[in-house]
Amino acid sequence: MHNSATKEILRLKVNGEEREALAPPHKLLLDVLREDLALTGSKRGCDDSSCGCCAVLVDGVPTLACVALAASYQDCEITTVEGIAAPGTLTAVQEGYVEAGGTQCGFCTPGFLIATKALLDRNPEPTPDDIREALSSNLCRCTGYMQIYESVRLAIERTKSSQLDAVRS
Amino acid sequence: MAAKYTLIGKPMPMTDAKSKVTGQGLYTDDISVPGMLVGRILHSPHAHALIRRIDTARAAALPGVKAVVTGLDAPKPYGILPVGHDEQVLQSGKARYIGDNIAAVAATSAEIAEHALSLIEVDYEVLPAFFDPRESMKAAAGWIHDTKPNNIEKEYHHHFGNVDEGFAQAQFVREESYYAGEVTHAAMEPHSTLAIWEPDQRMTVYSSTQVPYYLHRTLSDVCEMPMSQIRVIKPLIGGGFGGKSEIIPLEVAAAVLAKKAKRPVKITYTREEVFYAHRGRPITYVDLKVGLTREGKITAVAARVVQDGGAYCGYGPVTVLYSGALLGAIYDIPNVKYDGFRVLTNKPACGAMRGHGTVNVRFAFEAMLDALAHDAGIDPVDVRRRNLLNAPCITVNGLRVTSYGLPECIERATEHAGWNDKKGKLPRGRGIGMACSHYVSGAANPIVRSNIPHTTVNIKVDRDASITVFTGAAEIGQGSDTMHVQLTAEVLGVRPDRVHLVVADTDLTPIDLGSYSSRVTFMAGNACIAAAKNMREQILAGVAKKLGCEASELDLREEQLFVKGESAARMNFDQAIAAALEFQGGLVARGTYQPPETARGGKFKGAGVGPSPSYSYSAQVAEVSVDVETGRVTVESIVAAHDCGRALNPLTVEGQIEGSVYMGLGQALQEEMIWENGRLMNPTLLEYRIPSTLETPEIESIIIESIDPEGPFGAKEAGEGSLAATIPAIANAIYDAVGVRINSLPITPEKVLAALQEKQKRERAAATNMSGNGGGGAR
Amino acid sequence: MTLPAFRLERPARLADAVRILVAHGPEAMIIAGGTDVVPNLQMKLFSPRVVVDLKPLRELAGIEFTPASGLRIGAMTTLTAIMQSSLVRSKFPVLASAVGTIAGPLQRNMGTLGGNLCLETRCRWYNQSQFWRNALGGCLKLEGDVCHVAPAGKFCWAAWSGDAAPALLALDAEIEITGPAGARRMPLGDFYTNDGMSRIALARGEMVTAIHVPPRMAGRRGVYHKLRIRNSIDYPLAGVAVTMDADAQGVCREARVAVSAVNPAPLLVKEAGELLTGRRPSAELMEEIAHAAISTGKPLTTSASTPVYRREMLKLFTRRALEELWQNGRA
Repeated sequence: MHNSATKEILRLKVNGEEREALAPPHKLLLDVLREDLALTGSKRGCDDSSCGCCAVLVDGVPTLACVALAASYQDCEITTVEGIAAPGTLTAVQEGYVEAGGTQCGFCTPGFLIATKALLDRNPEPTPDDIREALSSNLCRCTGYMQIYESVRLAIERTKSSQLDAVRS
Repeated sequence: MAAKYTLIGKPMPMTDAKSKVTGQGLYTDDISVPGMLVGRILHSPHAHALIRRIDTARAAALPGVKAVVTGLDAPKPYGILPVGHDEQVLQSGKARYIGDNIAAVAATSAEIAEHALSLIEVDYEVLPAFFDPRESMKAAAGWIHDTKPNNIEKEYHHHFGNVDEGFAQAQFVREESYYAGEVTHAAMEPHSTLAIWEPDQRMTVYSSTQVPYYLHRTLSDVCEMPMSQIRVIKPLIGGGFGGKSEIIPLEVAAAVLAKKAKRPVKITYTREEVFYAHRGRPITYVDLKVGLTREGKITAVAARVVQDGGAYCGYGPVTVLYSGALLGAIYDIPNVKYDGFRVLTNKPACGAMRGHGTVNVRFAFEAMLDALAHDAGIDPVDVRRRNLLNAPCITVNGLRVTSYGLPECIERATEHAGWNDKKGKLPRGRGIGMACSHYVSGAANPIVRSNIPHTTVNIKVDRDASITVFTGAAEIGQGSDTMHVQLTAEVLGVRPDRVHLVVADTDLTPIDLGSYSSRVTFMAGNACIAAAKNMREQILAGVAKKLGCEASELDLREEQLFVKGESAARMNFDQAIAAALEFQGGLVARGTYQPPETARGGKFKGAGVGPSPSYSYSAQVAEVSVDVETGRVTVESIVAAHDCGRALNPLTVEGQIEGSVYMGLGQALQEEMIWENGRLMNPTLLEYRIPSTLETPEIESIIIESIDPEGPFGAKEAGEGSLAATIPAIANAIYDAVGVRINSLPITPEKVLAALQEKQKRERAAATNMSGNGGGGAR
Repeated sequence: MTLPAFRLERPARLADAVRILVAHGPEAMIIAGGTDVVPNLQMKLFSPRVVVDLKPLRELAGIEFTPASGLRIGAMTTLTAIMQSSLVRSKFPVLASAVGTIAGPLQRNMGTLGGNLCLETRCRWYNQSQFWRNALGGCLKLEGDVCHVAPAGKFCWAAWSGDAAPALLALDAEIEITGPAGARRMPLGDFYTNDGMSRIALARGEMVTAIHVPPRMAGRRGVYHKLRIRNSIDYPLAGVAVTMDADAQGVCREARVAVSAVNPAPLLVKEAGELLTGRRPSAELMEEIAHAAISTGKPLTTSASTPVYRREMLKLFTRRALEELWQNGRA
């Protein structure tokens, strides 16, 4: 049955900005981001929380926005793919995915970037197995994952060398 | 050799990668326009039923509903092949599978649209349905389409040479039956279409399509609007793999709704609807017979192939023809017989999927070749070495082979995988296997027969010496855009960042047939080079006038204009353009590609499918371990060598090889659409299990460059040909590991365990029959 | 697919949550991590009027251990937190390893222990969209009157498909339930009804608030084996958890075996404990225990894998788990 539920004003902190959206309580975070806040970077690839395309960071933790009720996430810091770098710049992780072929069709890429960022924030020098495990909720149909691993390795190297540079200078 | 080129052969990140990693790039579902309605489709709950009556009155009366349409609103049948115009966007006479399209609604919200669907009343008269192609093709009455007797969509019977004579010459002849379950593309992006009705009675359609120009034509036909009134734009596409390479019902439904509502309508499929739209690789039965001499020469091949095509034609006849055309053509086989049947059943239509038509027969053939090699006591690699084509040549079925890197693929793949150290020497439970595959670089004959070039590319150079390439080729994640930039910049001798693209917009770009059959690099690439060369001539001609010399004395490279023989440049590219504009006016160039007559194949019925201007080749080695108690197969590594002619962009070529191997891995071990009486039991990404990072092994890709004489800088396809070899390589490795051959895909742990138990039983029986002669034989 | 409309309650205190649950009874539904509930809502398996979000109840998250009272894990503790807890990993390895197999890392970041213990039962005729179920005509569990798994009977065989519960059964855990009358504890095994329809025994207004593992289980060796196609994302097709305490001579002092994903409840294999106590390892004994496991575990065609294969794996996993534990015990 279709019944129009009362909409409420949701206050969400997304990519460092206070945002408001008028949405019913059963609306998912993914849909609020995409439809109400025009943040279409996060994608819907499945309907049963099994592909990872919708991943966003919630207080730094990679989270599936497709199974999150938006109203439940009003007290959290949400970061979407649009918010992981300052406008006009790329982080080392994004550069890695660009340069090492980690993105082909790109539809899974936002979810992979979120999962990768969370991994490297927690563990800057992951082993290959750590990387495989951390990315195992994210499905990619294009790459066979090899160039994704290469992208992560490149991001790690870049980060290390830029830290070294910072220390030297 | 690569030093000859500035950009060709060097890794170049994809031109659209930055838009993808920032989330700024727009896919169809990301686009919203003012006044946009949400469209939803009503699907048939019955596998086969007459539609007696559809009453949409209550749905139409629901507040917020702006249009309801049925088959009567767009009755004209269509289909990707001219011989297969058998689908209506919404069926008005009969529903032919669970999920078939019956009606559609556009409303102001998704909730309202979904509610409206529940208010549409349909009276069905349920008919007996056909689910098994082997039964379906015997049906005497009650056919799925009245025009297709016995539910046979198409059958082809080809015989080259004489297989009876061939088998008579063989010392080892095997006959086996193989089965491949149904698999689907599972591109991460569910299909989406946004149709915008414009105030001037035009319609703009954004769609997740690999074939914008076929969509353009079909929309014009079905909506009964001139092509000039319709503009199709392909935004970013989240993967295709063939699943977006024909007209998908939502594309037409959105347009029909928009036309009726006079408003923009967007339909995005749920993941379940993607499974019903499907068009993937069909259930395939292969009865195969191959003969081998003691020396390891293949004397004859005979195959009978039955494909479960589902309820509509789609690409079906092409699939079944590819299966025959490419069955034997990878090797030098003098006698080939092929009987192929495309059968209709009451299930979603199958169609083109990566490796179109070649994959399941390649599995059968390469697995059998492994078994024959074993029979003959010849190393499986040697058997392949002894059956190579002597290219350039024409195969027995009329395919023109211009370049043939297979020998090198075999040598390099086996060397990298340590074949000689491992074959037959690994402990029980661990094994190594190899297989080969090949694929077309585009179809030499277009789907709709005509003499129009398959691709046209335009290039324009502006006053600031920036270059815009207009191409209809559909970037779907494979790197088509990047290739155009690379080729244009290479030919014009400029930095790639000068080159901008206008892509796949039927108002702006010249026609390209689309991204299917691995045609883009070869065809759009050649057209792009032709356009760039033409542009270069125009520039040089203008500059020559300015300098008072002949154009032939001039050279453009590294952003500079040189007079040949001089070491210092005369001017930079900007100055050259300024000079050229002075004499030429606006700089506009055009290039086309048309496959040569000699590449277009024989004259027999069905000869049109299979011919390609060139073929790619792959050889792979898989190493597996098998848990003999669970039957579980773990693929430890795959080495894949692929002959792509020349790797224009090694970064994307490697990505394509690895992606192909990955998809083959999924089909080999774990992917399958599971049916119960026409009901798809696993229409989700949770239950249709594409491999995660944890089942995907290390894949080593090796690029082999045979430099095709007609390819763009020698390039051939890279995106599909590697898929087919992966599956038999894994199957053969399983045999090496534990001595069982699984002739049925996917090779699930259950099948392996059952085969192992069967083998044990057989061996025990043999041991008791011939006491004293235990052991021996297979490990 | 849209979600059915509902009112969302976000109680700040446990007592408020209970009050809301009492007020709305079966029309209220709890959401914790959402990884199971939200897809089910999208499929319209339920249409609650009120959804109670437990996320604000911070007091329900946390892992505590004292040698006297044992382990207590709050229901809202995420699966990731349990898996990464050095305490759980060192003292209750079977739980850490079982939780580590649940879905994938992102689902574990959201999923909670309480949620995993209260999973909806799963069946391939049930976990489908509304369109799919309508086309079928429903099943015994919902919208129909035929069980497509066992059409002759009137019993729902939907499989309880969690990984944490078998490990906790093997740890002799108790579940803490809070309701209008306050908190009560019961053996985890009693929480499950072994009926695919009702699945868990919660009275009106009650919710799971914690799990308790007795002190004697601290340091208990244990392993969990899970049958699945993919090593990530998938629900179990069968699962076996075994814990064992053996003396230096390899004589078993206490052992517990539990199976999952093959019945409408996770079940303790009762005979296994009796058979093992006081015994040393032998091939015959393992075979006996494996048989006990499959006399408890009764897989039907509720999932992709066949019952025959799942039974066989149940046997194998039981045997392998025992071998591992005995071997490691002696080492």
